[in-house]
Amino acid sequence: MKGFAFFFLACAAFPWTGKAQDQPAPAQAPAQTTSASAAPSPAPSTGSDWFSGWFEVGYRWDSGVGGSLETYRSFVNLGAGPKLLGTEFTITDPKHRLFDQINVRAYDWGDEPSETLHAGVKKKKWYELNADYRDFAYFDDLPSFADPLSSNGMFLDEQSFDTRRHLGSYSLDLLPGNWIVPYLAFERDADSGIGTDTFVSFPNEFPMPFTSADRTNLYRGGVRIEKRRFHVTLEQGGTTFSSSEEQFQSPSIPINYGNNPVPFFGQNIDLQSLAAAYGITGSSVYSKGLITVSAAPWLDFYGQYLFSEPQTKVNYVQDATGNLVVENQLLFYTSQGYLVSSAARLPHNSGSFGLEARPVKRVRIVENWLTDRLHEAGSAGSTNNLSSAGMSSVTAALLASSLMSNYNQNEANVLYDPWAKLSLRVGYRYVWGRAADDVLPAADLVSSDLAKMRSNVALVGFTYRPLQKLTVFGSGEFASSGGEYFRTSLYNYQKMTGKARYQATKTLNLSADFLLLNNHDPQPGVDYEFSSHQESLTLLWTPPKQGWDFEGSYTRATIYSNIGYLEPETLGPQTSLYRDNAHNASTLFHVKLGKPKGPAPQLTGGGSLFLSSGSRPTAYYQPLAKLSVPWGKRASLFAQWTYYGYGEAFYLYEGFRTHLVTVGLRFSPWGG
Amino acid sequence: MCAMEPAELTRSTRCMRSISLAAVLAASFALGQAQKPPAEAPAEEKSTFAGTDTCQICHEDIVKAFAKNAHEVLETDPHKGFAGHACESCHGPGSQHAESADATLIRNPGKLNPAAADKICLDCHLNQPTHVGRLESSHAKNQIACTACHKVHSGEMAPRTAVKINAECAGCHASEWAEFQRPNHHKLPEGSMSCVDCHNPHGSIRPAMAQSFGANEPGCLNCHGDKRGPFTFEHAPMRFDGCTACHEPHGSANPRMLIRQEVRYVCLECHANTPTPLTLASPANRTIGVVPPSFHDLRSPQYQNCTVCHQKIHGSYVDRDLLK
Repeated sequence: MKGFAFFFLACAAFPWTGKAQDQPAPAQAPAQTTSASAAPSPAPSTGSDWFSGWFEVGYRWDSGVGGSLETYRSFVNLGAGPKLLGTEFTITDPKHRLFDQINVRAYDWGDEPSETLHAGVKKKKWYELNADYRDFAYFDDLPSFADPLSSNGMFLDEQSFDTRRHLGSYSLDLLPGNWIVPYLAFERDADSGIGTDTFVSFPNEFPMPFTSADRTNLYRGGVRIEKRRFHVTLEQGGTTFSSSEEQFQSPSIPINYGNNPVPFFGQNIDLQSLAAAYGITGSSVYSKGLITVSAAPWLDFYGQYLFSEPQTKVNYVQDATGNLVVENQLLFYTSQGYLVSSAARLPHNSGSFGLEARPVKRVRIVENWLTDRLHEAGSAGSTNNLSSAGMSSVTAALLASSLMSNYNQNEANVLYDPWAKLSLRVGYRYVWGRAADDVLPAADLVSSDLAKMRSNVALVGFTYRPLQKLTVFGSGEFASSGGEYFRTSLYNYQKMTGKARYQATKTLNLSADFLLLNNHDPQPGVDYEFSSHQESLTLLWTPPKQGWDFEGSYTRATIYSNIGYLEPETLGPQTSLYRDNAHNASTLFHVKLGKPKGPAPQLTGGGSLFLSSGSRPTAYYQPLAKLSVPWGKRASLFAQWTYYGYGEAFYLYEGFRTHLVTVGLRFSPWGG
Repeated sequence: MCAMEPAELTRSTRCMRSISLAAVLAASFALGQAQKPPAEAPAEEKSTFAGTDTCQICHEDIVKAFAKNAHEVLETDPHKGFAGHACESCHGPGSQHAESADATLIRNPGKLNPAAADKICLDCHLNQPTHVGRLESSHAKNQIACTACHKVHSGEMAPRTAVKINAECAGCHASEWAEFQRPNHHKLPEGSMSCVDCHNPHGSIRPAMAQSFGANEPGCLNCHGDKRGPFTFEHAPMRFDGCTACHEPHGSANPRMLIRQEVRYVCLECHANTPTPLTLASPANRTIGVVPPSFHDLRSPQYQNCTVCHQKIHGSYVDRDLLK
């Protein structure tokens, strides 16, 4: 796939004839699309019409990262060096021989944390071929996460990874007629890399590096039948997947003393060598059917059904030496060989059915029902061989597990338009289900769980458009439950949303958003109280002929959560508190440093900030400035500065700050 | 409703559900049978098709832009039934309007209410796969018209690049966009992902119009394939409550987009060791994840980061305690 990607990128680097397209907005906020569109206007095409396109290249410098490089890479991960920031081109065959049009889009290539490429080829009445490829740097190494020694002043992240994920999606639709479309598709998701986690051997844990890889392939094919009154899709597909991880510590390196230096019954628990690996393979075949029917001018039906049955097989092997112990037998040993084999099967049924009826002119009735049923069965067999001087012990064990989940939902809504400017909705949703989780023989932390879910939800909503320029939306859900799967699931809750849009003038847009969620689980021992709300205000001002525009938004969000638990050691009641008060603002303005019309240098400035107080006080600043200068009719030069500054009140060692400067050229060779 | 005994509640609610469904169906059928075919507007009844060439005389810019739109196929493909008068596929017959230049003598979807405007689009697009979940779409329920996102006249009917898609969505969902400005977030602000990678704006059988992957698996697994399983020992919330049981998918100030500032607090919300008193009398009120008191002493730093030991927190193939 890399070859395929580079082929298109190489193509983009050639000086094709073409006319300018909209500039792709660089990453940051959506407002930057405004910036993009404000780039020098393309001149009329002077080249042939068979090709159009542009590309943007640049070079980025960074000032070095002050503070935690790990956190910077986890959040931002933009690096220095040459970049292909974006390209788009279209090839049109006026004679429509093998294709009508080829469209290619690629963004952020050059060792960037996310690289994307899309190519689409189509020929009318023959085929449509789409290929999409993405490459992600998947990096996460936050010092405050999963560090057992952080409270002792040692900052080690024992749950981190640095991997590269490749996603490919390819589909071919054949268009032999006007109503039947056979199709084939293939999707691939693969990841490989390194990381750190722990090898656990009670009462100690040992930080260990690992290498890992996983891969999922999805194959699917089917046919779509598109008639005027109904549409049917029948699809058959399958997946294969695999995952593996390896940990290794050579006997030649110093002994690993782990995180717990406290002797256990007078002996230090340590690890001298380790070789551990697991490999997983699995597959699944699924069948899917979709149908939509316009049975009458006033009645539509929808439905879909899916059956799949994934299966997996796993092998795990572990060879460890050191001074280790079986806790409950006080059995000390120096060598362990541990083998596990397991298999699982997971049949899954899912279906939905709905209808929309318009019995009278201003009334719509929408009804839908869905069910999702999953039954998993797994088994595992293990052999554990422990040995030390003069002792050898072999233990075999068998385990069986099951997981069952049934989820059902039925919802009916009536929408009524009393007059053209107002639409009202009332509805009712009933959700019910049952879940069970078992492991045999029962031991340790896991035994058997059973829960039922039952929830009645009243639904309301409205849309009011008193003026062409003003729209107000509102919706609400009010629920009463008789059972839930988890202590924190939605139980007795009220959810309300409101939005208002106002076009104050031709150049001034205002909008406001409101969201509220209250959830309460009154059961003794749980007594869960959760409340959150968010308010947003957005302003977009684009005065005509002034050569500048402004966009700004401000959001305030709060979270309030209380839930009880028993401190495990003492069984004394405790309350877990979580508070978050967040302020978020982002702005972007563009100023043309010259005549409002025609090519002129343009300055863009703004950025975003996030400030929160409460359980994890955080400050995050991302200001930016960009200067774009036209260079002839077909090119522009630009320079962009961005600053990233991050800090936490409780985790000072996690802060970072850096400046990034990018300069580049946007070029539309023959036409822009 | 809560005052009822669970069994009674179940029977009562199921009964109510069945009755409501039957009533809806019966009412729809009866009303529909009684309903006459919808009458066209008087102006449209008298009008005939004027043809795109006629429209172009006054609306040249729109017709030119339309030529780059996917709807141009209506103009050229005789099988679609509107060859030569594509404009009138949505605006209705326009001969009277063309003769009088009277704006009231032609249908303008932009001035209809969203439901009526959508009906025009759905006359052709109702039966497309992307609309199968439309009934569950909160866009449809909240009267967000197709044209709120799709431009019928211009060249690019819908935004295609991640940056443009995000800008389109953020135009209404400002508070959701603000969540992406938090430190730990999916990389939408960086332009490497778009809202439609996770949500299907046309609707989905999943909550929050979430995308599906590989038939109906959660869309999260499209990228996080290593969490797919099926695991021999599955962490129950992965199935029952989904990823959002522990993660804030848009963004969070907490590491790994967790809903709480430390891992243990996420875990303790379910693994609280508190028996649920009602469970003994009423299994309906039991919840999953409440384990018997264990050996963990939360005062010890060693036990304050659960995932140091329970590494395979999403599910394990080999260890029932999700250790490896």
